[in-house]
Amino acid sequence: MTAARSGWALWGDRLLLAVTVLVAILWLLPVIWVVAMSLKPNAVLQQSTWGFIPMPFTLENYANLLQLATVPRWLVNSLIVAVGMTLLVLVVSSLAGYAFARLQFPFKRAIFVLMIAGLMIPEQAVFLPLHQMFASWGIHNTHAALMMPRVAVPIGVFLMMQFFRAVPRELEEAAELDHASRFTIFWRIMLPLSVPALTTLGLFTFIHAWNDFLWPLVSATDADMYTVTVGLASIQGNFAFTEGLGSVMASAVFASLPIVLLFLIFQRFIVAGVAMSAGK
Amino acid sequence: MHRSKALAALALTTALTTGGAAGAAEIQLMRFFGDCQNDYGSVNDASEANGECGIITALVNEFNATNQGGHTVTVQTAEWGAYYDLLTATFQTGNIPDVAVMHSSVMPDFVSRDLLTPLGPLFQEAGIDTADFVPAALQNASANDEVYALPFDLHALLFHINVDLMEQAGFVNEDGTVRLPTSPEEFIEMGKQFEEATGQNFIAVESQSAEGMMVRFFNSLVWQQGSTTLADDGTSANLNGPEALAAATFIKQIYDEGLADPGLDYPGAEQAFLNGQAGIIINGTWVVDSYNAQAEGGSVPLQNYVATNVPALMGEEAVWADSHMWVIPRDESRAPEEQEAAVAFLTFLNDNNFEWSRTGHLSVRQSVIDSPEFAALPHRANISNTSQIARAVPTTQNQRSIYNAIMSDFNAMWLTGAEPQAALDSAQSQVERILRRANRGG
Repeated sequence: MTAARSGWALWGDRLLLAVTVLVAILWLLPVIWVVAMSLKPNAVLQQSTWGFIPMPFTLENYANLLQLATVPRWLVNSLIVAVGMTLLVLVVSSLAGYAFARLQFPFKRAIFVLMIAGLMIPEQAVFLPLHQMFASWGIHNTHAALMMPRVAVPIGVFLMMQFFRAVPRELEEAAELDHASRFTIFWRIMLPLSVPALTTLGLFTFIHAWNDFLWPLVSATDADMYTVTVGLASIQGNFAFTEGLGSVMASAVFASLPIVLLFLIFQRFIVAGVAMSAGK
Repeated sequence: MHRSKALAALALTTALTTGGAAGAAEIQLMRFFGDCQNDYGSVNDASEANGECGIITALVNEFNATNQGGHTVTVQTAEWGAYYDLLTATFQTGNIPDVAVMHSSVMPDFVSRDLLTPLGPLFQEAGIDTADFVPAALQNASANDEVYALPFDLHALLFHINVDLMEQAGFVNEDGTVRLPTSPEEFIEMGKQFEEATGQNFIAVESQSAEGMMVRFFNSLVWQQGSTTLADDGTSANLNGPEALAAATFIKQIYDEGLADPGLDYPGAEQAFLNGQAGIIINGTWVVDSYNAQAEGGSVPLQNYVATNVPALMGEEAVWADSHMWVIPRDESRAPEEQEAAVAFLTFLNDNNFEWSRTGHLSVRQSVIDSPEFAALPHRANISNTSQIARAVPTTQNQRSIYNAIMSDFNAMWLTGAEPQAALDSAQSQVERILRRANRGG
């Protein structure tokens, strides 16, 4: 009976694996298609976009991209903004998350509700006042202007708060017995414990910052301040999706490479982070 | 004495030279059309360039290399879809360009907010003859009896034809010209004959709402009946009147009879036409040279290609057209010499309007249209009067929103089988709401 059940379970696992692989392939097909098109001549793609094998093959789309003198500048801008924003989000979210998880202060519940309410306000609703405020400060076309609107992230605070709440209180109590200050407890005990949560939040922030388009478009209006998404879009001709499809796809692959690399290196944390934010 | 004269001459020369240098200005140009520095970055002769991006890049290079004032144009490109958001944002962020490209359909949004420099007096000083502009182009560039832009082209809707397929269907006359329908009934009848003879679709057209090609066709058909979809003063819409209903019913019939594939997007429609799977593609002037080059190159099944006007199917000749234009965005901090330099650049562009017309777009200057060099360009003889029959939508704010509203209701006709009257009523209601907001300044 047990052997029969384990046989069924084995087949069940295999079926599940087969379905998972199939779904993964289906998810991957558009990506393969994009890469294949990026390796085909534009003239060929104007006639047909069919096929996953890049024949005839060309690297011209990538060569044209790399020859542009402005591309390195856009990459550096994106890197500064993405790294800067990630660090700031981690600092703000971990401090605020710890405060909500462990500290008692007046109006804590009301402030928490206000913070969480931020999740319900769409970005577009605050876009114009935000833009005008930055204009009145004269800080558009700076890296700071690209980072600042995204530093206060309610979901980040919530994620960190959930993580800190799960840390046993005994650890803090032990530190308190040793006369550790509140900041020392946060810095020496809680932060090292929260590396998985910080890594996850950091990765999501970095990816969001790297892919962002709308705010950089209207804040960094000087071409020297373009981020890589806005910059690569700016070089497209009016009918790029017919006459320059290969170039568009090469831009897409090029712009997403850092994110793909990041994902490959840190995928363990990303998966854990998704599970953590969904399960808690 | 002799020595002092020489010194005086030297001083005068120095003063004149430095005076000239002092007048030199850097002009910030913002535009779409893409970046093709790799191909045309060192081309200083516009006649050696091709395509929108190539020609405007070479024109800028040529101006920088040849202008007498020593001015330099610095180009900032932006993606077409996001261009107007970026341009609008510059009025807040501070780096307002000195010259910017603008569609005529968008200009009212900027004029109503007083964001453009009136150009009439500046054109007069610079010797730009506005009387040389074809009427539709001058109308596009004007608002409130003032000229706000240098029109650069008219880009109208055309019928692009695969002559071999039309011949197979028996629609080519003895003199080699293609026979086109003269009424909706004849159009449908010819379409059925065509499909029976060739096994291919009669029409290929973008039908998936990105471009709204069929809205442009619809506007053309309403104008052909002597009516209009928007009142000239931009205060009311007329989208569900009898003329609009006739046009919409005809368009729906094209799909219902299977004469066009409703599943095609813009690239799909192009692929169908280039691959010899459609007799006619309804598309703009901007593809004339591209299709011509591909047909001549022999790399696509399309071999024998002609471009013609949209035929008068419902009365008089009339066709939708928009314009690319150049404007000088208003900037109180702009120095007078920068404005002068910007006007000098516009003058140069106007003088070289023929080069731009090689893209396939229609020239806005009657003198260029009448010139032998323009007539010698491929297919231009067939469309030499397009500028005369071109019609622009009234200069109303929020035209893009109006266009998008009509587009989504129209798509319902062939994608979900909505009845023409229902689609038009819905469009009418949406457009009236947009106009109400525009007219109360919302």
